[in-house]
Amino acid sequence: MKEVRTDMRFLILMYALAFILLWEWLLPVIELTDTEYITVFLFFIGISFIFGLLRMKWWLSIPLKLIYLFWSLHYVFFETVILSRETVSLLITDLLSNIGIIAAWNWDGITNPFRTVLFFVLLWMTIYLIRHWIEVRKSILLFYALTVIFIAILDTFSSYSAEGAIFRIMVSGLLLIGLLTISRISDKHGRKIGTGMFAAFSLPLLFAVVCSSAFASIMPDRGPAWDDPIPFLKSVVQGEGIGSGSFVAKSGYDTDDSKLGGAFSQDSTVVFSATVPKKQYWKIETKNTYTSKGWEQRSEEAIPVNIEPGSLLAFSGADNLLEEDKFLHAEINMKEQLPFLVYPYGTSKIHTRTDVVLQNQEDNGRFWVLKDGEEAELDSFGIDLIERNYSLKALRATSMDDYALESMDFSEYLQLPEQLPARVRELALTITGKEESVYEKAKSIERYFARNGFMYDQQNVAVPRGAEDYVDQFLFDTKRGYCDNFSTSMVVMLRASDIPARWVKGFAPGEGKTNSEGKMEYQVTNNEAHSWVEAYIPGFGWMPFEPTIGFSNMTGIEYDLELDMSDPEAPDMEEREKPETNKETPVKKDEDNGVLAFFNKMDKFLRENAWIGIAVLAVIVFIAWQVYKHRGKWIPKLLINAYRKRQADWVTYTKQYKGLLKQLDRFGFKRTDSMTLSEYAKTVDTHFGGRRMKMLTEAYERGLYGGYTRHDDWAGLQEIWEDLINRASC
Amino acid sequence: MTHAQVIDKVLANIDKVMIGKRDIAELSLTALLAGGHVLLEDVPGVGKTMMVKALAKSIGASFKRIQFTPDLLPSDVLGVSIYNPREMQFEFRPGPIVGNIVLADEINRTSPKTQAALLESMEESSVTVDGETIRIPQPFFVMATQNPIEYEGTYPLPEAQLDRFLFKLKMGYPQRGEEIEVLSRAEKTVPIDHLETVLTIQELAELQLAVKEVNVDHTIKTYIVDCASETRNTPHVYLGVSPRGSLALMKSCQAYALIKGRTYVTPDDVKYLAPFVFGHRMILRSEAKYEGITSNEIVDRILTRVSVPIDRVGLK
Repeated sequence: MKEVRTDMRFLILMYALAFILLWEWLLPVIELTDTEYITVFLFFIGISFIFGLLRMKWWLSIPLKLIYLFWSLHYVFFETVILSRETVSLLITDLLSNIGIIAAWNWDGITNPFRTVLFFVLLWMTIYLIRHWIEVRKSILLFYALTVIFIAILDTFSSYSAEGAIFRIMVSGLLLIGLLTISRISDKHGRKIGTGMFAAFSLPLLFAVVCSSAFASIMPDRGPAWDDPIPFLKSVVQGEGIGSGSFVAKSGYDTDDSKLGGAFSQDSTVVFSATVPKKQYWKIETKNTYTSKGWEQRSEEAIPVNIEPGSLLAFSGADNLLEEDKFLHAEINMKEQLPFLVYPYGTSKIHTRTDVVLQNQEDNGRFWVLKDGEEAELDSFGIDLIERNYSLKALRATSMDDYALESMDFSEYLQLPEQLPARVRELALTITGKEESVYEKAKSIERYFARNGFMYDQQNVAVPRGAEDYVDQFLFDTKRGYCDNFSTSMVVMLRASDIPARWVKGFAPGEGKTNSEGKMEYQVTNNEAHSWVEAYIPGFGWMPFEPTIGFSNMTGIEYDLELDMSDPEAPDMEEREKPETNKETPVKKDEDNGVLAFFNKMDKFLRENAWIGIAVLAVIVFIAWQVYKHRGKWIPKLLINAYRKRQADWVTYTKQYKGLLKQLDRFGFKRTDSMTLSEYAKTVDTHFGGRRMKMLTEAYERGLYGGYTRHDDWAGLQEIWEDLINRASC
Repeated sequence: MTHAQVIDKVLANIDKVMIGKRDIAELSLTALLAGGHVLLEDVPGVGKTMMVKALAKSIGASFKRIQFTPDLLPSDVLGVSIYNPREMQFEFRPGPIVGNIVLADEINRTSPKTQAALLESMEESSVTVDGETIRIPQPFFVMATQNPIEYEGTYPLPEAQLDRFLFKLKMGYPQRGEEIEVLSRAEKTVPIDHLETVLTIQELAELQLAVKEVNVDHTIKTYIVDCASETRNTPHVYLGVSPRGSLALMKSCQAYALIKGRTYVTPDDVKYLAPFVFGHRMILRSEAKYEGITSNEIVDRILTRVSVPIDRVGLK
């Protein structure tokens, strides 16, 4: 290939732009791998480009680059005197030891200096490729596209934020592509571009790029259509979730609950892990005011109470302890930070590091830590808790009249919006009316959902519109929803029955596993974000209830009554017998139906059989490659069979002839564009002998150039054609 | 008799006197059938005159010859009006140009004025003297020669006038065996004297009509135009081929296809004829001349760059 030298000014510009693009590759890599010394690498890229511009011979540039590499390694890793015997021997031992490590396939064991060497080599090759793209191919689109894809993927899936990067890439990439196009145009015409011409070409380019980028950057940002593509893809596969009006929220803890409803998607990021002997519900806070669309905390801000870490907490109902109550300890390791602490029921002490102060707001149950007066984060903390057991007998003895004995003001926990439809109250009274005790009233509401055709669903969940009430819509219209629907409805119905209740947010227990020390460790992910109900039972205090179907109640009940099977309490016992199947994570629920189930199963299968998958893939790729490689053998056979069945006429003949041309090309007869068909036929006939190709070509030319699309002897031509294409099948 | 057979007879007839010059004979006949003229550029004695004579004799046409010299006047070419005392009026005596087949020998030896007179009558196929215009009888075919070696005392033809010629050809020396054959044939007799007429002027006119019927497909026209426009975009060329050049190429392709016994033009015809048609219609930059690149080489290069249409797909 004849290489046309590009103008030097052009090259300098293009290399500068390529440098910026490569820089954008380096930035996230450096950031995500916690590598320092980005300048060392940038300088390497810089000198490589400059050597290229100076047309430095390889015998000079390669040693120089190696010297630089050596210097960088020394600068970054070794404290010794450069060029001393010590440095050299250190370096050599390091490199040699790595060869052994690689031979043992121990990828994690590679040392940092060697990693750096490998990274340099990678950079070196990349730079070589870029130089090839710029100077020989004069097309950078592939690299540009790769850069955009790379940055977009990192931005989506990693913590790297590419907001500025994508803009810089767009501008520099477009300019580079534009300049290369100009350079290609000048090559095509075989003349160098003068300054005037350069200005005439590049100024409009600059103008266009600057204008479009400026326009793009000042336009209002619509914001991402989806937070995370994977749940989005899943919801698309299910064919819902992105419909008009509804929105897809991500599962996880969120402080804003003023607008409930709508689909939400899975996010299995681990939020924290808890080492605790038994499953616990992890509480964060409660809310008291129902707005008919969601929950808010409306009360006078209670003054936070300072608590010394490790001191005993006063918690309601502590005086009602039973003998059977156990003292447990939980260790919590935060993987993602939450604004408030998570804590289980029965928390009596919270142990943190000593340099922080704990604060608690009593009205909403929030705990947080302060360090030097500012909010701080804890990576881990311990909790002492008392596992409580309630006496069923005592619970069943509670009466609505007992509230008068309590000193607390319940008005905020009996709040209901004025516009709450009357049928909600009516339903609540119908459910609770049959029961006498406060506990049984609450329990009857908790049970109500499981027995009246309610469905657990994360996707087809309505959002109340206009004057619609969230609870009313769920109870009477949709009957589909997730924890928020169930818990809110229960709180509202409890309040409608005059039982003080509040809405609780936190996390469900999560997946438990025995860890290396033989203790149970629970991984709590964003998918475990949950909401439930606390009702105030006179004499017992705030007691948790779990109305959401598929979840089982977490309260320890001491079954100190003789129960018969007709007792409504009995099914609960059964439920407790099969906690693992009922304790759900929503994903498992979804597995039962639809396309997603298929993908989930497929995913699981592939995960478990990754090696088989890779092997099968490799075999398929190999077969496909072989089939493609030997296409010269089987395509003629296919063609011959196909054309035998067709009617012999000009149109068919045209296709046959072109098929023959392709086959001959595969066989090795390359036809340049400027070669006429008869010239080509001559070379073909010289190889095979005879004049078959000439005859076929004449017939083709007669038709194409002469317009004679009739022929006396299509059959004869067909025979010649078959003969020739057979000979040309390799 | 089909056209092809007739043409074969003529060519075979010319072969009797011209040895190894079948291509030149074909090209000359092509020009004749296409209604164009030929400029032969070669050293003396390679058979230029013999070629024209053989052609003229084969078609039974009148043959005239003008030897150009520096002192030749336009009237010597076109003819003069002479006073006829008996009739008491001027009478036009036509010059040698008024003939079917004219050999204009060494046209670069005469003054530009006379050259212009010749070229104008070639273009117009008529002679104008003293306001009187006389049509030159058809067929009218001028074969001009010029000697590329001796430049002293010559008036090179201006580039703009060169495109009055359909082809510019070079004859070249015969090969060794061919030259021996030439000698043996001329050993006893003069072959040209025994040449028979194999084609009447009437038949020639029919052939010329048949040329116009030869099909030029749209793909071929595209190809011709692509070649012509490529000459305008080639760095070494100062002035490329004009649309008249494209037209000339198409017409000669039609004639050549007929000679080859086809009723349609193929890209091979275009590729074969392009150097003869385009070569003298381009003006090269002086750099090209210094580098010794000839126009024919440039045309060859162009032909390797232009892609040949082999189907109708993607045709504009």
